[in-house]
Amino acid sequence: MRSLNRTKIRSMVCRYILLALGTVIFTLPMIYMISTSLRPNGALYEYPPRFFPKWEALTLENYCYILSQSKFYLNFLNSVFVSLTTIVLAAALSSAMAFVLGKFKLKANRLIFGFIILSMIIPGTTMIVPQFELATKLNLVNHLWGLIPFYIAWVIPFSTFMIKGFMENIPGEIMEASWIDGANVWTVFTQIALPLASPAVASVSIFNFLTAWEEYPWANTVINDTGKRTLPIAIAGFFGQHQFTQWGYVFAMSVLTLIPVILIFILCQKFFVQGLTAGSVKG
Amino acid sequence: MLAQPFNGFENYREVFRDQTFRTVFVNSIVYTLITVPGQMAVGLLTAILLNGIKRFSVTFRVINYLPVVTSWVIASLVFRYIFNTEGLLNYFLWKIVKVTSANIRWLDTRWGGISVAMILGIWKGIGWNMVIFLAALQQVPADLYEASEIDGCGAWKKFIHVTLPGIRGTILFALIELTIGGFNVFTSIKMITGGKPAHQTDTLLTWMYYKAFSTGRFGYAAALSFVMALCLGLLAVVQFRMMRSRDN
Repeated sequence: MRSLNRTKIRSMVCRYILLALGTVIFTLPMIYMISTSLRPNGALYEYPPRFFPKWEALTLENYCYILSQSKFYLNFLNSVFVSLTTIVLAAALSSAMAFVLGKFKLKANRLIFGFIILSMIIPGTTMIVPQFELATKLNLVNHLWGLIPFYIAWVIPFSTFMIKGFMENIPGEIMEASWIDGANVWTVFTQIALPLASPAVASVSIFNFLTAWEEYPWANTVINDTGKRTLPIAIAGFFGQHQFTQWGYVFAMSVLTLIPVILIFILCQKFFVQGLTAGSVKG
Repeated sequence: MLAQPFNGFENYREVFRDQTFRTVFVNSIVYTLITVPGQMAVGLLTAILLNGIKRFSVTFRVINYLPVVTSWVIASLVFRYIFNTEGLLNYFLWKIVKVTSANIRWLDTRWGGISVAMILGIWKGIGWNMVIFLAALQQVPADLYEASEIDGCGAWKKFIHVTLPGIRGTILFALIELTIGGFNVFTSIKMITGGKPAHQTDTLLTWMYYKAFSTGRFGYAAALSFVMALCLGLLAVVQFRMMRSRDN
């Protein structure tokens, strides 16, 4: 018995050592990014390169520079506007669609659901050429509204798929009772179905926020004006601006961009895991 | 620019005859074949390690998930900076652990550039795999493990005969999602190598993007993306079929 305990403890210690080691290797790139953002711009190409900056050389000058530029606030607000509009509209549209698909037996349901699966399989970037033609025809090029409808279209299939699963689990009796009471479809949707499905709506909204917040290829294609840029293309633009990249500025801006994401991630961890695992464990 | 006359299947013929198309096609295949199993294996290993511990489980999970929420643009720039010829990694390999005898020009060669993108892809994907595999592992009935222990199975046999069959559905789900993601690689290539040298490191999407928006060949690009969508669609159907036939 004692030897069994000892092997148990040994395997436990092994697990912790491996996990700690993995985690250290894993976080090195992020730590290096932060450490680079905290050293003076001139020291970035020092040789030999240092993982941590010299203690006396630590500086916030990169952050001061980024925060002194009015452009940064504009880019930040653009990203906030695009992301929030996307998640609100996508949540409304996909929960309504999920309600109908999950709670009513319509002939078109199979067809619509087929389209949803199909568009989940073919990623948005593949369709960038026809999307660009569409945006040109609709006069949306170089406009923030050239981003929002496309982001919504990208996230709706996955969101609907997720929320539908939740809607299906709402007991039919609850809804039947309100039908008998004379409630219409809208009332049942807003008063009964939506509140019950709200955990699913919350978790897809977090994912949709991330998608819109970090999206690069489409924004880079549609937006030209510096003032209309979202954060990812602003960072990428910084990177290509000069012959010698100002890595300190690039990483300071990156850290500032990551802060809201990491805050949301840590605060909403529960919804994250829920959203991730809902589609994967079944079957 | 957008209005071009109908020209039958000429665009498709051009795509398949193009030497660069073959290069970028191979690049995309190699990227997918290496990053998909790579991140699944490391993610599953992390999940198995996490599944057996009680303290700090959430801490490890949160930290290991951070790369997933880091945007592709930022992560790509960090990797580009680390893999710079005079950068940190080369210095570490050459001067500190002394496994190389010169700086490796990671970003200037075809497989060097693609390797950096692949390492980034695996790094960024591990957290997602970890979370979904951890959820799957928690669904494997504990009595199966107990039964196999009584039968005298070691850790490896338990993994092969209990764990793997138990999480089969999740493995297939991850396989489908990640294969689609592998062919969708775009931002990392664009930020790390930009396709250099001479489109040697381009993938299907970055090449399509270049053709459309740098040379104005929208027809060629549309033909290419249709071929790609068709391949992904077929792949997904095959994988769904596999999943269903295994379930029955």
